[in-house]
Amino acid sequence: MAEPIGSSCLAVNGLVTGYDARNVLTGVSLSLNSGELVTVVGPNGHGKTTLLRAISGLLPVRKGSVSLNGRAISGLPAHRVAANGVIHVPQGDLLFAGMSVLENLLMGAYLDSDQVAVARRLDEVFSLLPKLAERRTQIAASLSGGERRMVGIGRGLMMKGSVMLIDEPSLGLAPIVIEQIYDVIARLKASGRTILLVEENPARVADIADRIHLLDNGAFVWSGEPAVLLQRDELLATYLGG
Amino acid sequence: MDIIGPVLVSGMTTGALYALATLGLSLVWGSLGMLNMAHGTLLTLGGYAAFTAASQLGWPVPVAVLAAAAVGGLIGALIFMLVAYPLSRRNPETFETTIMIATFGVALTLENIVLRLYGGQPLGQPLTVGGSISLGRFVLPWQNLVIIIAAIALMAATALFLARTKAGRAIRATAQNPDAAKLLGVPVARVYLQVLILSGMLAGVCGVLVSSITQLSPSLGADPMLKAFIMCVVAGLGNLPGAIITSFALALVEALVQFLAGARWGFPALLAIVILVLIRRPGGLFGRVEMRRL
Repeated sequence: MAEPIGSSCLAVNGLVTGYDARNVLTGVSLSLNSGELVTVVGPNGHGKTTLLRAISGLLPVRKGSVSLNGRAISGLPAHRVAANGVIHVPQGDLLFAGMSVLENLLMGAYLDSDQVAVARRLDEVFSLLPKLAERRTQIAASLSGGERRMVGIGRGLMMKGSVMLIDEPSLGLAPIVIEQIYDVIARLKASGRTILLVEENPARVADIADRIHLLDNGAFVWSGEPAVLLQRDELLATYLGG
Repeated sequence: MDIIGPVLVSGMTTGALYALATLGLSLVWGSLGMLNMAHGTLLTLGGYAAFTAASQLGWPVPVAVLAAAAVGGLIGALIFMLVAYPLSRRNPETFETTIMIATFGVALTLENIVLRLYGGQPLGQPLTVGGSISLGRFVLPWQNLVIIIAAIALMAATALFLARTKAGRAIRATAQNPDAAKLLGVPVARVYLQVLILSGMLAGVCGVLVSSITQLSPSLGADPMLKAFIMCVVAGLGNLPGAIITSFALALVEALVQFLAGARWGFPALLAIVILVLIRRPGGLFGRVEMRRL
């Protein structure tokens, strides 16, 4: 199910990767054009997080390639992939738990030496996520699950990059908090951000995703528009339990 | 019997030295998960470097102290580049064990090089200050005061560096979550190198301070290394503020026990505290039990 690279911002072709001797992804291909929001859905443990980790260089690519704006980034260490413009907002709480909210956000601007630009982006993050401004001096470990997720997204927004990879932003959160998180993601999409979003529930992304890929056992088994997937009861029942 | 003065002077002086030795050890342990068994030898090398610079090359005191820091930092960098980095790349799962054994080997090698170069006889550190100051009933030797002030100044400078600078924030971030740091563009291996250099520099200067109230010998760093290890365990691994508070507190306890029961009871008292703390709080006084998600 390879997709043409064309003028895509992010292109993944025939990606094979895994842990130890086991391949978790067995040949995944996808592409994102500038300003698109593409979602990967699928059951737990079938390779969604692994896909993002391989794109951002946390996991070595065994076969295939990843390129960003036409430049190959597969094989680069994670810090250089980030320097090339891939922003990865990881699943769960990969925050710096002992640092304040402000310090976590400033770490997002680690690669930027232009202090004026950093201050401007910080203002933008605080206006998009006003809760973080209130909590700026609070230690990250003491935040609620939703606030931690907001810090993760805010930290990603402090980076300069062309593609955002967001891994299961709703995981373990209360429905009202999930709504707030998705409201932020919708505003990011509206502002023209290019986003690859991993999610378990396709209904959550139906309104914002341009395209959706269904991942099962390390390979895409269906790709298309979210509205179409939601009408395919047999796919939902087989792969997503409902 | 007036015991407050001598106990305070002795406890604060050794506390300052333990804290400085512990700071470097804890920094590396907390950042890399690496118990650097050669840390004590870095103290020794710093002491000898200052001795050589001051008494054999005739360099002024500040330059001799800088030479000690430079030698400590250089050897720290070499330990990372030649030992820690290759071991962590080759087999990260067993790194915490293999690095202990490897740096123990480095320590023995460096100690024997010092023995060959300078001999086994104790040497006097020329960087000392004579005289004392009287504060009422307290008599405080200038040398002790210099040690306390220098150690506190170095710890404060390190704390400021870690808290206020971009490089310091990167060190703390990497220590807390290396994967997250990588995703933000932090070159983690370079950060680890900086940590080893910083730790080595602190150890080098600490060696000058230790040898200024004892004597230079190839095993100079062994006792501070052992005490620093105890402080790290009691405080909780990698907890820098906790390690410093623990160092001063336990040094005061050690001084009190030595004064009341005799010098030989100081170390057993420290070991008893370690055992009690580990039974009551396995993660240390300021640490927390770590859960690793696999």
